[in-house]
Amino acid sequence: MRGRSILLLALLGFLVVATGVIWRRGVGLAQARELRTLRQQRAALTATQAALEGAIRDASSRARLARTVESALGMRVPPDSLVIRLPRSRPTPPSP
Amino acid sequence: MIKISRLGLIHGAFVLFAVTLVGRAAYVQLGQTARWRQAAQQQQLVDRELPAMRGAILDAAGTVLVDSRELVRLAIAPPEVRDRAVLADALRQVAVPEEFVRRATDPARKWVELPGRYLSTDVTALLAMRGVHATSVIERVPPATAGLRSLLGTVNRDGEAVGGVEASLDAVLRGRPGRSVLVRAGRVGPLSSPEERFDPPVPGHSVTLTLHQGLQDIAERALADAIGSMRARGGDIVVLDPHSGAIRALASRRADPTASGATALTEPYEPGSTLKPFVAAALLELRRVTVDETIPTFNGKFTLNGRTIADVHAAPRMTFAEVIQYSSNVGIVQFAQRLTPREQYAVLRDAGFGMVTGIPYPTESSGRLRPPAEWSLQSPASLAMGYEVAVTPLQLALAYGAIANGGELLEPALVQEVRTAAGRVTYRAGRRVVRRLMSPATARTMRGLLRDVVTGGTATAADLAVYALGGKSGTARRTRDDGRGYETGAYTASFVGLFPADDPQLVILVKLDDPKAGYGGLTAAPVTKAVLTAAIAARDAALDPSTLAGPPVRPVTAAAGTAVASGTGPDSSGRGGRAVTSDGASAASGAAVEGAPVRLEEPPLRGPVAFDLGVDRRPTVDSLPPRAVPDVTGLTTRAAVRALHRAGFRVVLTGAAAGAVTLPAAGTVLPAGATVRLSSLR
Repeated sequence: MRGRSILLLALLGFLVVATGVIWRRGVGLAQARELRTLRQQRAALTATQAALEGAIRDASSRARLARTVESALGMRVPPDSLVIRLPRSRPTPPSP
Repeated sequence: MIKISRLGLIHGAFVLFAVTLVGRAAYVQLGQTARWRQAAQQQQLVDRELPAMRGAILDAAGTVLVDSRELVRLAIAPPEVRDRAVLADALRQVAVPEEFVRRATDPARKWVELPGRYLSTDVTALLAMRGVHATSVIERVPPATAGLRSLLGTVNRDGEAVGGVEASLDAVLRGRPGRSVLVRAGRVGPLSSPEERFDPPVPGHSVTLTLHQGLQDIAERALADAIGSMRARGGDIVVLDPHSGAIRALASRRADPTASGATALTEPYEPGSTLKPFVAAALLELRRVTVDETIPTFNGKFTLNGRTIADVHAAPRMTFAEVIQYSSNVGIVQFAQRLTPREQYAVLRDAGFGMVTGIPYPTESSGRLRPPAEWSLQSPASLAMGYEVAVTPLQLALAYGAIANGGELLEPALVQEVRTAAGRVTYRAGRRVVRRLMSPATARTMRGLLRDVVTGGTATAADLAVYALGGKSGTARRTRDDGRGYETGAYTASFVGLFPADDPQLVILVKLDDPKAGYGGLTAAPVTKAVLTAAIAARDAALDPSTLAGPPVRPVTAAAGTAVASGTGPDSSGRGGRAVTSDGASAASGAAVEGAPVRLEEPPLRGPVAFDLGVDRRPTVDSLPPRAVPDVTGLTTRAAVRALHRAGFRVVLTGAAAGAVTLPAAGTVLPAGATVRLSSLR
């Protein structure tokens, strides 16, 4: 009877440990999947960001914008005589 | 005799079988460990290469010109696919061509590579299906303009750099791919495991060019407009800083759509009269002439060794200064006779003609300059007029840079800085003097002569209202494509300007191939003016505002006349300017050429202008000095953001995590209030 109890306890212990290992592995797999999904999303979002920034650079470049503002708004590049550059003063350092 | 019972035999057989099993198991476990471990790994693990993010290319102000992004390439293994109808629908939703949908669902095929690249979020449903295999690839986001694309080159589908800066700096841009061992996890697909090998990819270095995007846009547009309006075959514009050799803009364009690349570096041409200043500088340097020395110019016709040399601006006599001002072929050929062939060759060779400049570009041309031993009897005269020598626009602009900076020929710089992804500087361009071409005094004298060319010589079409511009126009016959002789009626028109004339900040070379609107002074010079006008009006065009601010730098001169046409000779350098009277003085012509640019006379500014803005002047972000981006290596995201805010920058987070890096990299000097991206390396 005593020997059977020990065997039963050993089997139960094995069952508990095995269940724990399987559960832990399952959790690990789920987290790995989640991590992979997040990495893919990050890569995709970074890629989208790069593409959008490229599109913004393209749209806001002088090459594209200048023609539009000239035709739609009637703006022109002013001759140098109409450009006055104001000297930029340096800020005074804070007094100690 | 031992009698073995039947039961004993059976027991013995079982024992033998058990011993055999144990023996075999022991042999497999102990004797074949490596073999079976390897087999297990092949079944359970998969080795993947992780592409390295290619380094960004930025302009001198830190604006990103070219960037990279990570996409996925898809392949289908049809035998592994379970539901073909669902797969076909998913493929159609991401616009896969119908032919590839049919192939991907054909069980007779083993492997089908799909065309195109996709964002992984767009193909999430596909990636979850059995039989769909994804490979990460890095794609280049191209620069905004066609001119930059041709200069910077590109990266093909296989990630190989093709042409331009991408090819010449491929070693620093491409980075090093990493490797990752993933664990196969059934339907879930391969997953990363902390217990398996992971070598992270090393991103490529970022390269900051000396180009200035604002100026580049201005140059490209001016060139496109000029080629269109003058029906030219093509053209090039080079803008460089004569004090550092930094190339600020490099625009090339050809009417032939098959032509590509930065032809300002790769296509030499005969420069014509734009070469005359170097002969003149050598004469001044060697004290063979004085600026006010007079020489007979025979009313524009002179015969030398059986060859008739003609001038557009006919005059019986000209001073040395007027020879440059009106680009007299007759005058410069006679003055050049005071140089020996070796001296004449030496000055052109020392100016950098006939050898590559060393710019990091794969197919830079050296041009052509033959040694005196190969010269004909006509060669000294031809060289004095800019013939029998082929130069690239960059070579010529650099040589003019020597006139602008006081006499030193500089090595050109296209790359300003190279940094690792962590922000460590691995290369920074410095000012490199190749040799002294002329003394500062000679350079100053030459700048004065070149200013007269614009204020009252062959290039008045380039004259600005306020700022003084110096320069030299040139018109040269175009050689035939087969190299035998010249094309009839085809010219290369060019103008090289120094802005401002007294202390130049920029050297601008404009070259137009076979414009249908006239000579260099009438075609290329106005393009230079257009570039400068736009650059002066722009806030971000690489000009030093502290020098340009305040009173105008242009001296008050008599009103220059409008352009006049008076000749058709191939060696003429321009039709602008005033006709020369018999005593060598100039008289304004009232007749303007049809189609020639009309210059509006505006009252010159007399001094600084004070404006009462009506408000107290307060320090604004714009008035704060530029500062360096701080190094945030090793900081948490929160600490990094705080550090950047403290330094006076705006911050944009892009997937930042601990160990994030900044873009632009640490140490880059930016205006206060500029936006800095904070992103993680992985």
